[in-house]
Amino acid sequence: MSVITRLSPLATAIALSSALTLPAQATESLFGFVKGAETLPEGAIELYQAIKRRSDKGQGDYTAYNLATELEYGVSNRFSTGVALKMQSLETSGLIIDGYLPKAVDNGLKFSGVEASMKYMFLSPAKDDIGLSGYMSFNYDWIDPHSGQDKDTYSLESELLLQKYFLEGELIWAANGGVEATYADRAEIDDLPEDFEWPTDPEMEIELKFGTGLSYRFAPKWFIGIETFYETEFETEVGQERWSVFAGPTLHYGTADWWATLTWFNQLSGGGEQYENQMDDDLHLIEKTKNEVKLVVAYNF
Amino acid sequence: MHFDGLNSLWLFPVAALSVPAYAVNYFSVSDAQQALFPGADTFIESPLPFSDDDKDRIKDLAGVRQRQDQQPIWRVQAQGQFKGWFIVDDVVGKHEYITYALALSPEGKVLGMEIMSYRETHGDKVRQANWRKQFEGKDVNAKLKLDEDIMNISGATLSCRNLTDGVKRLLVVHQQFLASNQIAGGAFDPQTR
Repeated sequence: MSVITRLSPLATAIALSSALTLPAQATESLFGFVKGAETLPEGAIELYQAIKRRSDKGQGDYTAYNLATELEYGVSNRFSTGVALKMQSLETSGLIIDGYLPKAVDNGLKFSGVEASMKYMFLSPAKDDIGLSGYMSFNYDWIDPHSGQDKDTYSLESELLLQKYFLEGELIWAANGGVEATYADRAEIDDLPEDFEWPTDPEMEIELKFGTGLSYRFAPKWFIGIETFYETEFETEVGQERWSVFAGPTLHYGTADWWATLTWFNQLSGGGEQYENQMDDDLHLIEKTKNEVKLVVAYNF
Repeated sequence: MHFDGLNSLWLFPVAALSVPAYAVNYFSVSDAQQALFPGADTFIESPLPFSDDDKDRIKDLAGVRQRQDQQPIWRVQAQGQFKGWFIVDDVVGKHEYITYALALSPEGKVLGMEIMSYRETHGDKVRQANWRKQFEGKDVNAKLKLDEDIMNISGATLSCRNLTDGVKRLLVVHQQFLASNQIAGGAFDPQTR
């Protein structure tokens, strides 16, 4: 499948979002992965489209696109909620990972999951010494983001979000810390390779994540920054299944009506389980890739 | 009276990326002057330059940086009588700078405020009269604290905070540099500080 064909539903999704020229804005995000602590004001609505490209597992070809179209609403000046519809495409070949990646896949863009989230702001970054919010999200996914195979996954994530303004708001620091609990149940696969392990018993996983970022407004409407995220996951059978550190630059453009953020994330180091004959032994490349690029475009209502 | 190139804040190395400073103007300088001093007939341009020591002193007293090296100020008269000061200032908004004008009495009390340029997503209420009216009568001894003597506008908290801090800073500028220069009939003379 050509890239154009693969991305055509993606373009349609973006076009649909764009067609809703109502407004948009909300918790304007200066970072691609690190969340800020501010919430939407009461009655405000933001529509955003996120596109993430994950690529390169060190061997073979692996490219995935994850899309999320989210609508966020300010219930009160401190409390906002959101719902998102997720899509995914995956193209992989030349790499089989026992227990994780059973075969080559060439999936076009498919609906892959839904998400509901809420954020409560305890302290305002612009008014208090430091901003503090609590964030929770519930996800239901029916496609495995790593293999593209059918897999029902339920996850509950909770995070604390910190944010502080410096230089009257021209320099912004944010940090997140959170935990995600996941219940996953894989579907059977008929044509597995011989002796390939593909457990279909439900599994439970716990993931811890910590991220931080710094963004500077270098010109009106333009921000440049850097962000990093550490993630580690624990699973009953293997203990610490993986850990990884990603970091990279981020560029943000914001106006009164819309904003966009582009982040390039590179895996700096990682560990835990590795696939057989993995060349990059200082990275985790089973559930993660070497590179992630994320673009978020949002419209303010 | 035209008002170009006022803000030294725009002179970043990446200025090529910046957009016109006053893409959304609600008031020109002359409009703001007439709105804040309706009976005045003379506005004498009296820009006030600051040394590094001056800027440090302002920061110590106001609690916020004096970013500009030169503050645009006009001495205001009506039929030869000194009526106060008209000051134009910029503060940081969420995306762009917010330009506003402040009118001070000869004694250093706020007579009024007008938002000259504001283009943030939320918080257009800062332009409304009831929000700006909160500053009237304030002097350098006022608390000028968001959610205490100045109400906040949700969704525009950073703008409200920086405008409030900006007024506080200009009141300090008046106390330190203008209060002793209001007798002379001409423009402000830095030598008389």
